Amino acid sequence: MGQGTPGGLNRQGLPGDRKNDGSDKKEKKFEPAAPPARVGRKQRKQKGPEAAARLPTVTPLTKCKLRLLKLERVKDYLLMEEEFVSNQERLKPQEEKAEEDRSKVDDLRGSPMSVGNLEELIDENHAIVSSSVGPEYYVGILSFVDKDQLEPGCAILMHNKVLSVVGLLQDEVDPMVSVMKVEKAPLESYADIGGLDAQIQEIKEAVELPLTHPELYEDIGIKPPKGVILYGEPGTGKTLLAKAVANSTSATFLRVVGSELIQKYLGDGPKLVRELFRVADDLSPSIVFIDEIDAVGTKRYDAHSGGEREIQRTMLELLNQLDGFDSRGDVKVILATNRIESLDPALLRPGRIDRKIEFPLPDIKTRRRIFQIHTSRMTLADDVNLEEFVMAKDELSGADIKAICTEAGLLALRERRMKVTHTDVKKAKEKVMFKKKEGVPEGLYM
Amino acid sequence: MTPDPNASSSGTVPSKDPKKKKGEKKEEDLSDEDLALKQQLELYVERVQDPDPGLQKVALESMRQEIRTSTSSMTSVPKPLKFLRPHYGTLKAYYETMQDSDLKKYLADILSVLALTMSAEGERESLKYRLLGSEGDIGSWGHEYVRNLAGEIAQEYAKRQSEEAPIDDLMELVQQIVAFHMKHNAEPEAVDLLMEVEDLDLLIEHVDSTNFKRTCLYLTSSARYLPGPDDMLVLDIAYMIYLKFEEYPSALQIALFLDNMQYVKQVFTSCDDLLRKKQFCYILARHGITFELDDEMAADDDDREALQEIINNSRLSEGYLTLARDIEVMEPKSPEDIYKAHLLDGRASAGASVDSARQNLAATFVNAFVNAGFGQDKLMTVPSDNTSGGSSSNWLFKNKEHGKTSAAASLSMILLWDVDAGLAQIDKYFHLSDSHIIAGALLGVGIVNCGIKNDCDPALALLGDYVDKDDSSIRIGAIMGLGISYAGSQNEQIRSKLAPILNEPKAPLDVIAFTAISLGLVYVGSCNEEVAQAIIFALMDRSESELGEPLTRLLPLGLGLLYLGKQESVEATAEVSKTFNEKIRKYCDMTLLSCAYAGTGNVLKVQNLLGHCSQHLDKGETHQGPAVLGIAMVAMAEELGLEMAIRSLEHLLQYGEQNIRQAVPLALALLCISNPKVNVMDTLSRLSHDTDSEVAMAAVISLGLIGAGTNNARIAGMLRNLSSYYYKDASLLFCVRIAQGLVHLGKGLLTLNPYHSERFLLSPTALAGLVTMLHACLDMKAIILGKYHYILYFLVLAMQPRMLMTVDENLKPLSVPVRVGQAVDVVGQAGRPKTITGFQTHSTPVLLAAGDRAELATEKYIPLSPILEGFVILKENPEYREEH
Repeated sequence: MGQGTPGGLNRQGLPGDRKNDGSDKKEKKFEPAAPPARVGRKQRKQKGPEAAARLPTVTPLTKCKLRLLKLERVKDYLLMEEEFVSNQERLKPQEEKAEEDRSKVDDLRGSPMSVGNLEELIDENHAIVSSSVGPEYYVGILSFVDKDQLEPGCAILMHNKVLSVVGLLQDEVDPMVSVMKVEKAPLESYADIGGLDAQIQEIKEAVELPLTHPELYEDIGIKPPKGVILYGEPGTGKTLLAKAVANSTSATFLRVVGSELIQKYLGDGPKLVRELFRVADDLSPSIVFIDEIDAVGTKRYDAHSGGEREIQRTMLELLNQLDGFDSRGDVKVILATNRIESLDPALLRPGRIDRKIEFPLPDIKTRRRIFQIHTSRMTLADDVNLEEFVMAKDELSGADIKAICTEAGLLALRERRMKVTHTDVKKAKEKVMFKKKEGVPEGLYM
Repeated sequence: MTPDPNASSSGTVPSKDPKKKKGEKKEEDLSDEDLALKQQLELYVERVQDPDPGLQKVALESMRQEIRTSTSSMTSVPKPLKFLRPHYGTLKAYYETMQDSDLKKYLADILSVLALTMSAEGERESLKYRLLGSEGDIGSWGHEYVRNLAGEIAQEYAKRQSEEAPIDDLMELVQQIVAFHMKHNAEPEAVDLLMEVEDLDLLIEHVDSTNFKRTCLYLTSSARYLPGPDDMLVLDIAYMIYLKFEEYPSALQIALFLDNMQYVKQVFTSCDDLLRKKQFCYILARHGITFELDDEMAADDDDREALQEIINNSRLSEGYLTLARDIEVMEPKSPEDIYKAHLLDGRASAGASVDSARQNLAATFVNAFVNAGFGQDKLMTVPSDNTSGGSSSNWLFKNKEHGKTSAAASLSMILLWDVDAGLAQIDKYFHLSDSHIIAGALLGVGIVNCGIKNDCDPALALLGDYVDKDDSSIRIGAIMGLGISYAGSQNEQIRSKLAPILNEPKAPLDVIAFTAISLGLVYVGSCNEEVAQAIIFALMDRSESELGEPLTRLLPLGLGLLYLGKQESVEATAEVSKTFNEKIRKYCDMTLLSCAYAGTGNVLKVQNLLGHCSQHLDKGETHQGPAVLGIAMVAMAEELGLEMAIRSLEHLLQYGEQNIRQAVPLALALLCISNPKVNVMDTLSRLSHDTDSEVAMAAVISLGLIGAGTNNARIAGMLRNLSSYYYKDASLLFCVRIAQGLVHLGKGLLTLNPYHSERFLLSPTALAGLVTMLHACLDMKAIILGKYHYILYFLVLAMQPRMLMTVDENLKPLSVPVRVGQAVDVVGQAGRPKTITGFQTHSTPVLLAAGDRAELATEKYIPLSPILEGFVILKENPEYREEH
């Protein structure tokens, strides 16, 4: 029950209660005046106990003595606050009083409570609510509810009989979004990437360094890039690289697939995007990785079906979140696609996506590295000559190489051999290439 | 330099992990090139240990080449360094066995670079080998190396200091590093290093015309956070640099900050441009100190007179009226225009029409605040057209007794700064027989002269005789008038007039209290022994019952004002205060402490004051109020402390008892004076509905103070609602009215902020005026709501136009386009970042809100002061070409 209105409870002295007491005497003579609480759209950063906990920003960002001194000053004040508060707690424990207040509030709330939806705020003390079943009601809002946090559409607790608003449910992070958070880091690290040195460096500069060392950018006097797009042929390691970033970073990593952003109901997709970035902002520093961005990010054209229009609106929301009116703090975005030419140009403009990192098909050196990585755990017969495959002229992507190795292993397995022979690999390659070229056998029409 | 050596080699951190993993794998993981490089380097290492010096030299040379040419990104350790890692030990061992030679030095250089990534923390090997090395160009190994070296020097210096070892070799290196940093736009790092090795004087040699501004900016902003004598040292250096580059206005500001009149004189004597001197005078005038020019500072008599006239502020009224005409707000406003009762629901305004004395008094104040300095209003000055003194006296006589004092004084508020017209109009009140009106007139004389100096001393001449009258209200009027008009002047004559009153055995308490305050104002921040003695004796003479009177609080405050911002100088007096009667002892202690450290940002004092607030009292002691105000006074020095103090005050509100809670709104008001921050506004708005009426009253007045002179619509709306909420409660309504008047102070052209020049300088008289008023508000019912409401007029000391007025070389107003926007903190930023954001272009004169900064939008003129505030003289730019 405690989760109801921590804002209202923790605020000292229950302003609402107090004020009502104050006007009680005069109430007989004139109607109670409007209380000062401003209701309406929630101001996220300014309000509530969390906002009070926010410390002032310290400039400059460069590491220098001035910054050190300023941070020490902030620390000094925090230490004083701590000293003061602990002194007070010792002298005059608040817990009992708070406990008393809390139980009183619980009494007022009554139990059980029903969950409803706030439809509309009428005035300071009244609102229209709807419960999950049945009609809408015009009800009062109890004074201890933190009105700053009420906004139309939020989930509220209602009294079981009179249905007045007695609290609000705060956990409003869309469960869809919380799933996107990568809790367990993937196992792939940078060491598992063959080649792609330039790409690794670029993504590090654009995504990791701004989060760990913002002062380097300040030193030079540039704004760090906001996001990157990884593009290239299928199987060239875009997702792998993103996994490696997730593996190595300590920042929150949120991953989404473009198609997840397409929802059944109108407005749900954009809402999800908004939620996603809001969560990213709350958990900052964070990295948002959107795979297969072409699912939502294709060029805009006259759409005829509602579905297409919805997808376009989702993209528009994405555009706004990437570089819109509100500034994104420590949120970096990585997009990945293999069809960059079909993406909307607005999505790719500098300022939204500052860096475009191409993933080419591996060259000979890289191919050798990839073969080495994939064969390092396989038992190869002595006659296997990987160089032959490395030097071949075929267009092999990283994924193809992996497929060849797996296929060769399967072929060896079929014949119950413990070692993979050269022929196995050769056959495997033909098979893979055959599949890739959609039925045209390799070397037939050369 | 950051003390942490890891941090200084920051670029290498993020990539270490993957690289390490890579390194752990077998060697064949390396690509061919890397392998080749590795073998190459191994070969070099072997060769270095070769007995043949020729071979050694070649090997070292190529190793050096490899390291220097390796262009690594900032994300990883350069490869040569990585591969040389395992050989660091061997090279070190070999180095020890080497003969002294050039080669050995060569090797030392390389070892020094290698130590950058390899030496264990705290060993400072990089520095050790650097000192042994060939002492070549330090920059050739790159920034990272220099940074690391600087960090190690700082540690080494501290160590050698404690051991009292010689530091000459270090200082040589410091020289090199500083020169390198200054050349490469890394002024903060150079300054940091010099601070660490306590030799800032070196800086003066290295600054040049391109980087001295940034260096000084960094120095001045560091000064606020440095402890003890260091801050003065840093400012001294900044002052010297400014003088060296003839950036006199900035030098003058530092001199004023240090409160060092010697320096101020030096600025005047070292500059020989009359126009610039005029600009200096404007800066001095805004700061509100009394300053006499002598022959050295301005040789020519006429010039000196012209300059002195600027310092005396005699043109202030003129400039202010020009601003008002330009913004078109000359039209006088009546209190009803401010109340805007028609915007409220009908019920409230209906009740308010009762013509009570309190209402009229409130209207008097609102009228005075709103029309301050405009020379015309709708209550006091209107009738002068038709019959002399007709309805002016009518309004005057709508007030009762002591109310008339405030009403008479309000006339002078309307004529603020305009001495000639003011005195002429006030004169008529002297002929009336009512002692309250005469008292008001006397006070008025003081108000008109506030901040204006005049050679004939009209205030002293007029008021002098009344000080010794029998009627105590007349005496108070005259005493207050003297205090306000001569604030900060340290005028001997005033002292000889007022000091005896303190020792008069028969003088009533209120007269003595106001005398103490006036003396405190006149001698603000002077540490004058004799005045202090006089007040101390007066305090000791008070009887037990008198000490319990609310007005007694003004005595310690008067004492405190003498030491405003003077830090340690207060200690002797603080010792004496320990001998006072215990009723007043702690109160006096807190007041002295808070005044002495006002505007210093001293964290220890804040802690001390907070400590006093954390006690729970049972005997009805009152010293916690000034302690809370003290927190605000100390912490208001810089933005960071200010924000943190607001947080701390929230806690006080949460835990404190009535006497603390009542002072918290006032402390918030002082922290955000004329600067309506949204979060503070919310807190105050919440408190304005508090059940405790004292807290509510303080919160309401504070709402007015944070919005003073801003015309802030949100605060105005809140106050309007409060006026209907409290319409039955006369005292709270009075507070609401006063607050409404304050919000529209000077129709939005004035500010109460004692800080000026981009929040760098603190005007002592302005702060003194504010603090006096706030201390009076600690006992609202007895003082402001009692018969001493005219204490509100002390606010006039802090009133200043919040304008930017540009004048040409003949000091005539000149309209030029300027950009006005939110100031941005650019300290320590690379390049030439823009200093304002979200700007709009206006043409002068313009208003500047709190936190605003202006810059010229035209190249045609050059401002003579880098800070565009108040009066700024513009010079034509000789290089300007009209664009076609």
